[in-house]
Amino acid sequence: MEYSATRNQMSSYIIQAQEEEIKRISLELHEGVGQNLFSILTGLKVVESGIKEDHVKNHLHEMTQLIEKTMQEIRLLSVELYPPALTALGLLPAIKSYIKVYTSTFGIVVELSSIGEEKPILEQNSIAVFRVCQEALTNIAKYADTSNVRIDLKWSNSKLKISIFDFGRGFQIEDLEKNPYSLGIATMKERMLLTGGQCEISSKIGEGTSIEISLPI
Amino acid sequence: MTEIKGISQVNEVCEGLKKRIGCEFVALALQNEVGPDVRWHYASGNLNDKYKRITVRFGKGIAGKIISSGSPMMLIDFPNDIYGKVTDHPIMLAEKLVSCYAVPIFFNSSPKGVLLVGKREKYTFSEDDQEMVQDAALELEQILQNQILGLGGYV
Repeated sequence: MEYSATRNQMSSYIIQAQEEEIKRISLELHEGVGQNLFSILTGLKVVESGIKEDHVKNHLHEMTQLIEKTMQEIRLLSVELYPPALTALGLLPAIKSYIKVYTSTFGIVVELSSIGEEKPILEQNSIAVFRVCQEALTNIAKYADTSNVRIDLKWSNSKLKISIFDFGRGFQIEDLEKNPYSLGIATMKERMLLTGGQCEISSKIGEGTSIEISLPI
Repeated sequence: MTEIKGISQVNEVCEGLKKRIGCEFVALALQNEVGPDVRWHYASGNLNDKYKRITVRFGKGIAGKIISSGSPMMLIDFPNDIYGKVTDHPIMLAEKLVSCYAVPIFFNSSPKGVLLVGKREKYTFSEDDQEMVQDAALELEQILQNQILGLGGYV
């Protein structure tokens, strides 16, 4: 019993330390590298406007385009690492924002609904729920063979319930041990257990996979 | 503005290439006229319409790397022996491709697009295959250049 409590504390500490480091890198990319690139872009545009020679102007234009692409990639990378919306606006806006990037990355359409009033959640719990949703959606892109996903959030006074359904090819739960993403699923369950919540997975071949997450508020 | 899918010459080049190489999938990604986004504007042999919603990320996956480096690339046995994560290759996942060969499409000497051929089995594209893709890319460059100059762009 004592061993299990220590183990939980250690898992929780490792996950939290990892999240803090990821957040630091994400902010550094967004506020540091991203801002510097923006300053370079603005400077180059000023130079470009004052140049008459066509070939130099074209060359500068190519450079500004390259910087724009790099800025966009830095922004996406930063958001992918740690969504700024999570601390600034909360879980629901962070999920909405991630879904936009997800659809434009994998081409999978996600229908999202939220019932009830969004409640404030501890940052370490909301990041756990966010990461579980992120892992579920990544698994769907990798294995589910689907074009549509549905996510429902239900807020009550004491609990947040999230269900994710993928309408995909599904799999035999009994085969989970042999499944390539069983470790990912185990991590999702572990993360939710550490928050005091739960993560349940059910699947039917040819019908799809359902992930039910619950978090006490 | 005209849609790439509606340009019959583009269809002819891509379908001809698909037949000659004996591949299952051909797609064309191009940088949008405004902004840095690169999207798949044309696909043949596709299993679904996910490609229409995918934005190629600069420097990521096969198409993103081609746009950033300007060099051709080949994947022989996806997802084995790939550079980066499986999820960095969304077109391979979306179309269940196992092998592909892709080349850049240049406009004004800069890589602005990608022509990709793919198979849903392990395969090494021969030098002849690679040459055929390169030739098709040159043809497409010419067609698209004329279209853009003549019709004022594409969507």
